[in-house]
Amino acid sequence: MTLADLAHPRQDYSYGFLDAFARRELRRRILKAIAIPGYQVPYASRELPIARGWGTGGLQATLSVVGPQDVVKVIDQGADDSVNAANLRRFIARMTGVETTTDTTKATIIQSRHRIPEERMDKGQLLVLQVPDPEPLRHVQPDSSQAREMHADADYAQMWLSLYEQLVRFGRFMQGASYPVIVNGRYLMSPSPIPRWDTPALHQSAHLTILSAGREKRLYAVPPYTDVRPIEFSDVFFQVEDQAGRVCTLTGAGQKYMDELPQPSGESRFRISDTGYVEKLLKMAQGESTKIGPTYYDDAGQFWMPGVIK
Amino acid sequence: MAYVAARGGEQAIAAAEELHTTLNGPLSAVLVQSIERHLPYLVDRVMGEGSLYAPDLAALALAQTGGDLYEAVLLLRAYRSTQPRITYALPVRQSELRTVRRISAAFKDIPGGQILGPSLDYSHRLLRLDVLDDALSIEDRKEEPPALSIERCSMLNAPLPAVADWQRENGLLAPLPDRDPCDPSALPDVTREPISFPAPRAHRLQSLARADTGGVLALGYASMRGYGMSHPTVNELRLGYAEVTLRHPVTGVAFSAGRVRVSQAEIVDTGAGAPGDAPLRLGFTATIGWNEVKTIAGAMLDLEMSAPNPHPAHQEEFVLYHTEPVESSGFCIHYKLPHYVTFGSALDNLRKAAKTGETL
Amino acid sequence: MTVPVMNPADTRQHATFTALMWALSYPGRATRLPVAGPDALTLIGETLVDLETSFFTPDAMLTARLSHTGGRSLPADSASYQFYPRLSRSDLDLLASAPVGTHVAPDLGATIVIGCALGWDTRLRLRGPGIAGTREILIAGLPDAFWSLRAATARAPLGWDIFLVTDNAVLGLPRTTAVEVLSWPM
Repeated sequence: MTLADLAHPRQDYSYGFLDAFARRELRRRILKAIAIPGYQVPYASRELPIARGWGTGGLQATLSVVGPQDVVKVIDQGADDSVNAANLRRFIARMTGVETTTDTTKATIIQSRHRIPEERMDKGQLLVLQVPDPEPLRHVQPDSSQAREMHADADYAQMWLSLYEQLVRFGRFMQGASYPVIVNGRYLMSPSPIPRWDTPALHQSAHLTILSAGREKRLYAVPPYTDVRPIEFSDVFFQVEDQAGRVCTLTGAGQKYMDELPQPSGESRFRISDTGYVEKLLKMAQGESTKIGPTYYDDAGQFWMPGVIK
Repeated sequence: MAYVAARGGEQAIAAAEELHTTLNGPLSAVLVQSIERHLPYLVDRVMGEGSLYAPDLAALALAQTGGDLYEAVLLLRAYRSTQPRITYALPVRQSELRTVRRISAAFKDIPGGQILGPSLDYSHRLLRLDVLDDALSIEDRKEEPPALSIERCSMLNAPLPAVADWQRENGLLAPLPDRDPCDPSALPDVTREPISFPAPRAHRLQSLARADTGGVLALGYASMRGYGMSHPTVNELRLGYAEVTLRHPVTGVAFSAGRVRVSQAEIVDTGAGAPGDAPLRLGFTATIGWNEVKTIAGAMLDLEMSAPNPHPAHQEEFVLYHTEPVESSGFCIHYKLPHYVTFGSALDNLRKAAKTGETL
Repeated sequence: MTVPVMNPADTRQHATFTALMWALSYPGRATRLPVAGPDALTLIGETLVDLETSFFTPDAMLTARLSHTGGRSLPADSASYQFYPRLSRSDLDLLASAPVGTHVAPDLGATIVIGCALGWDTRLRLRGPGIAGTREILIAGLPDAFWSLRAATARAPLGWDIFLVTDNAVLGLPRTTAVEVLSWPM
């Protein structure tokens, strides 16, 4: 027997880029995040060959979970083909050789920045959301150690106060994306900068969601079948972005989250932001066979689970 | 808009990278060696902020990025992520550094003497325009003078006591706390666990060692200009070589794995502390590579962060979060990414609020 | 550059980790491990423990195997990862001292891996995150007092996260799962 027989073949990088220690650390943190829904687990957060703030948190989560059997979808603003999504997907494939897809229903892992797909995710699927700022209390308490104490005490009074102030000043809640939610009746959580349209998709979902902020070194999760409630008053409710009257210029469909495309004429045209979904609608229109999964919102704009959006 | 909505993001990326290469010229081993040989302070800065002592890799990172400092630091840090931790070196002691430059502004002379060493501090900052007129091409030149060999510096081997030790003996500084010999593997490590506040001392010093030179300077300068609480004097500034000593895993014998360039600064605060305390307080920063601006400004920030009720810009959390080069530069450039989903979500609210006319 | 491949240890640990992740995501649902029998606990140890964390086990054989991970062997009142191939009544005193985390850092609560059997004996009804409605399971080989001990210590967000290992399957019980003992064995 020679030494070469005992050694593994030399490779420039480990599978999934991260070395075994980094991967093991992330895995330990992910398990704790699942066990404490909505609690921000601190982690070391290694530097990756992608700039900080460009999805390194999501990428570390994906790289520590992904295996040869997985099928990965990466989206940015709902789009599979944006340069950033393409770049992250290219990196994951380069470091793991994993199969990639644009089809939500075929993916086992979906890494996303700022959107949840329109088609409902299912049991055994993993959604990894990239998070720029994990701290929902940041604008009421910029000091992170103080904010941590507030989470420990479930002291969210200042958050309710700021919600009330918005109501007094503007007659409505002014939080756009990243609308804060209460997870499992305990932790206030930022769902990452997904539009309010996507927030209800986290409530009692069949899939697992991991949210990871690489720069801020915090990782948290929403397990399947867990209560995720946007903060609202008993007489003034959380509202999603109004998509009524908007028609997708590519597919003619409505009641999905739309990108607004300003026109030289001063008007706007609209396009469905979920490009994987658009791709399937177009295929179907051309008579090609494709399987479209059930969506979170129906054609009348009704959310699939009754009572979630009041 | 097109940069996101366009189909074929991957082709766009490839084309953008190719254009970058075309504009910046090809990479070569000669270029990398030349950067390592001729731009050591730049290489040192990248190694310090990149938190990895590897002059050849830092030079490669600089060559590969066309000298974009933040990109070069990121390249080195990303490479660092793939390297396992094999062992822990023994602690490096200040007095054992092979020192090439060591000055104190606090005293005219100090035990062991002031050593000006390699420095441009007292040079005239005049561009050497004659160099451009030099008709000789590089090939015509004779052998370059050999790189500074550390054995040539006569002072190197003399152990130089720390100024702070003298001050401690004279009751000017608080004595060092009694500690058991330190087990390096038990030290809190900012690359293995995220920093929490108040930060363990090790985390603070590690963060300063990796910090962005410009960021540390900006906050340190604010302190110097009067926003700070302290009255700083450079107690001791040292540039030198540190011996990296390891223990053989089987025999336990200590051996040297080589030397690394290091710099460190100690700043004393002469502002009166509480009655009964030692008269002086000490701030410290050290980093790999020779970087005087960062260590001096960092040591001042170390003092500020320990002061009671510092200015908000000198609070520990503020300083350490905002001087992280990879995180701050990465987040800054991430604003180039499309944000139209969040922007659209905000517009939805703004339009409705405007329509109802309830905006104050 | 060629695409990196998993080495055998990577493959084993990846399969084990994904089993643990899904077991914890869907509490009470048995998930397959890549190996069976006593090796399963060693494998879970190898997947989670290294020189950056600590472990405890009352089993001498397992201590020897787990120390290969580089993890620090600590007593039950402070180890982050604890392994009980068989949970006897006397082990319960050790287990009772295991860390449950703090309100500022509930993630410091210990992870407990316990060997047991599935499919007969005590009937349990589970409720909580990861379970649509309720789920009923049958568990054997655990002292009765274990469930009252867990109920007394698991006060989410504090508590232990438990993996029950039976032959080649693992079943997760995060601290958020409410366990109701329906029937004791006859």
